[in-house]
Amino acid sequence: MIRTIEVLFVIIILSGAFIAVSYFTVLPPPREVSPINLRRLSFTTLQTLDSNNDLSRAAFDTNNSTAWSGLQVALSASLPPQVVYNLSVYDVNGADGQLYNYVNSISNTVSLGTTNDASTYAVASSNVTFNVTPQKIGEGGNGGTLYILNCSDANGWWITGYTAQNLAQDLYNLLSPYFIKTIMIQNTSQLYQILNGTPIQTETLRNAVIINTFGENVPIPTNYATQYSTDSAQYTYLLGQKVRTYNWTWASIVGSPLYYVSNTGYFSGDNGWGIFGTKQIGSAGINAFLQGLDNKTYANSGTGITSNVGVVTFTNQTKDFCNYYGIYPSTYQTSTRALSNSIIQSYHLTMGFNIFNPVGNYYPGAIYNHVAAGSTNITGSILALGLTRSPDVRITGLSLLSYYHPRLYASEYTTNGTSRIVILQLGLVGSG
Amino acid sequence: MASAAVDHMISLTIFMAAILIFIGLFSQTMQTGIAYELHSALSTKTSDLLDTILLNPGLPVNWSQRDDAIIGFGLQNPDFSQYKLSSLSPMRLTSFAQSPVYYPETGAYYSNNSVGVGSCLLASSAKSFNYSTVSKMLGINGTYGFQFTLSPTITVSIDKASTGAPLKLSVNAAGTGYPLANAPLSYSLILVKQDSNNYPSYSIINGATATDPAGFTQLSFPGIDGESQSYALIVYSYLSGLKGMGFYVHELPSFTKTVIPLIDSFQNRTITITHGDSVGQPPQAPSYSLLSYNASFVLLTEEYTLRPVALDESSAVGKVFYDSSRESNASSVNLPPTTDGILIVTYKGTSAGQYGLVLMPWGLSSLGLPLTFGGNPTGQEWVTTDIRQVTVGGISYQAKLELWNLQGYKGVR
Repeated sequence: MIRTIEVLFVIIILSGAFIAVSYFTVLPPPREVSPINLRRLSFTTLQTLDSNNDLSRAAFDTNNSTAWSGLQVALSASLPPQVVYNLSVYDVNGADGQLYNYVNSISNTVSLGTTNDASTYAVASSNVTFNVTPQKIGEGGNGGTLYILNCSDANGWWITGYTAQNLAQDLYNLLSPYFIKTIMIQNTSQLYQILNGTPIQTETLRNAVIINTFGENVPIPTNYATQYSTDSAQYTYLLGQKVRTYNWTWASIVGSPLYYVSNTGYFSGDNGWGIFGTKQIGSAGINAFLQGLDNKTYANSGTGITSNVGVVTFTNQTKDFCNYYGIYPSTYQTSTRALSNSIIQSYHLTMGFNIFNPVGNYYPGAIYNHVAAGSTNITGSILALGLTRSPDVRITGLSLLSYYHPRLYASEYTTNGTSRIVILQLGLVGSG
Repeated sequence: MASAAVDHMISLTIFMAAILIFIGLFSQTMQTGIAYELHSALSTKTSDLLDTILLNPGLPVNWSQRDDAIIGFGLQNPDFSQYKLSSLSPMRLTSFAQSPVYYPETGAYYSNNSVGVGSCLLASSAKSFNYSTVSKMLGINGTYGFQFTLSPTITVSIDKASTGAPLKLSVNAAGTGYPLANAPLSYSLILVKQDSNNYPSYSIINGATATDPAGFTQLSFPGIDGESQSYALIVYSYLSGLKGMGFYVHELPSFTKTVIPLIDSFQNRTITITHGDSVGQPPQAPSYSLLSYNASFVLLTEEYTLRPVALDESSAVGKVFYDSSRESNASSVNLPPTTDGILIVTYKGTSAGQYGLVLMPWGLSSLGLPLTFGGNPTGQEWVTTDIRQVTVGGISYQAKLELWNLQGYKGVR
């Protein structure tokens, strides 16, 4: 009997052990076993909210109730319904010597529950970020307008791999900080407007820079395409005249300037290479332009004034400007349409800025100023980059900046309260 | 002596029975603990795998713009860091949600990521990647099953709210957990020019407004008859870094024919424009139909307006037909070398008043489309989920990964 009693004791002990073990090994709710990674969700939410610097702005503008209410709506909208949050902003290195000072917070819950996690995100004030303010070209004087040809009714050529619209956008991003006003010429009608002396907005027309992003093509307004239908080189003659009249700087980004005219609404044929809406005018284009620039009598001349000079290099001055403006295209380029130096004498030009070292009697890329005989004033300029396709618009940007040389004013503000951290705590509510 | 022997036998029997019972009970408790560990490990694996997909661009990094096989899988945009995804890469993934579409003319199948009326995203299956291929590239083939989902964080839904003129459309913007209250909206109404032109073009009306506290707003377009006019509305909504978009295409009830653009090459950006009746299996009812189309491409500007980009004129317009002998034709158009945008194909039939348009996104986010890719989690024993907020082509998305173990729990349970 005693053994049976002993066994019963053993069973009682084992039962006690089982109960104790079972108590501690209860499987937790599913969301605690396989929870959403709240830390990463929190971090990616903060990144999303700051994708346009909206979070940074709100963190430094705590009195702006509109910004904070927008932030709260965005936060609530972006998180799943079962996720609650508490977003807090702390000032780092405050003036009172405290490392972190509470600034503001928003929340949609009293308690974050048992399953919660947080991420931190550092934001800097826009007043403190090291920045560079460029001097505006034309500031304090006339000009300062940059026109970029972005005409939707024209096609480009020798810009293979790009569209004129891509290049226009890149040039806008690169150069607009340096100009008082940058205007994208969206169609040939707008081009017609400025050629006839009417500003698109309220910009200054004189002394402007016009960049032709269409490569060897140049957009031609329908009126001029009709007017000069028998000899389209007369249009480039007109361009030269307008450049002289308004003292513009005409920029050709690649190849032989003004070799074709393009208007997809007017021309039905192609340029011989499958680009429709264009018409070839050949070397007569640049010759006529220079005649117009120099106020010579128009004469259609197809005489070639370009040459294939092969690999060319930046001048030392250009390399210096690469460092100054932080623009670094390759210093080696290939030039197959370098302009002859004979144009300098023939058309009363002076060298404004030489981007590439000359090769023999040819300039692979340069800005030429027109100074009429007996005058000292510049009356129109042309940037001709006789490089082979496809264009690197950084060279266009660098050339214009090197010529106008706007100063860069670097500024830095390092004071207290320049950095803040944002902490987003997330918690899960509801069942599993 | 006899009683001692009986006592011994009884106690031994009870002891053996008790031991067997307790072994069973304890092993159940141990299995519970092991299951907990395995589920917890699966959760960690889910988080790691999701980051693997989202934080590397794959190999080669420009695989979204190629047609060939890839070595490594990842969706990050190679031009950016962190959780910014390529909008083109998801187009090369075979949809889980919808079956591929058959095109009898060439015998090819097309992965179907289309959503909603009036939009198409059909990409060549031969140049897309399926679940099995991606599983192998992720190194989890046969070990784990997964389903990957990209869903726009902001849902912009548009409904027609009027009959006749003026055209009124109600717009609702809502996040996953809350309406997008007082959020700015930019919209573009694309109107098919229903004139005598052989190849119908379109005009765009742009505008901006804001949602009310409930995330709603109503757009009104005076002078536009919402019944007889073929149009599409594209709406962008944005607030504190969140960006969402939605679209609505109005098909004329009296004209059911359509054109369908098929993506044939990601590398050359080649789109085949086909007659809608010629796509699908079995082929549609044979009846002669001729459609004249005009294709164009638009980019989204930073001001949330649409900017047209010129297409090759010779291929941007054409005619597609499907006749009673089930013969059809198709033609190709190449998109410009931009990252993403929307192909707009306007078309007309042979009778008066037969107009329509179809939108095809080049890049998943261009029309804010979702993507579901991978296996089916239904019926799996334990599925873990993880979520990240990501940006796809500037539009806010949530990336969700569901993961389950394919090898079972090795004796557990």
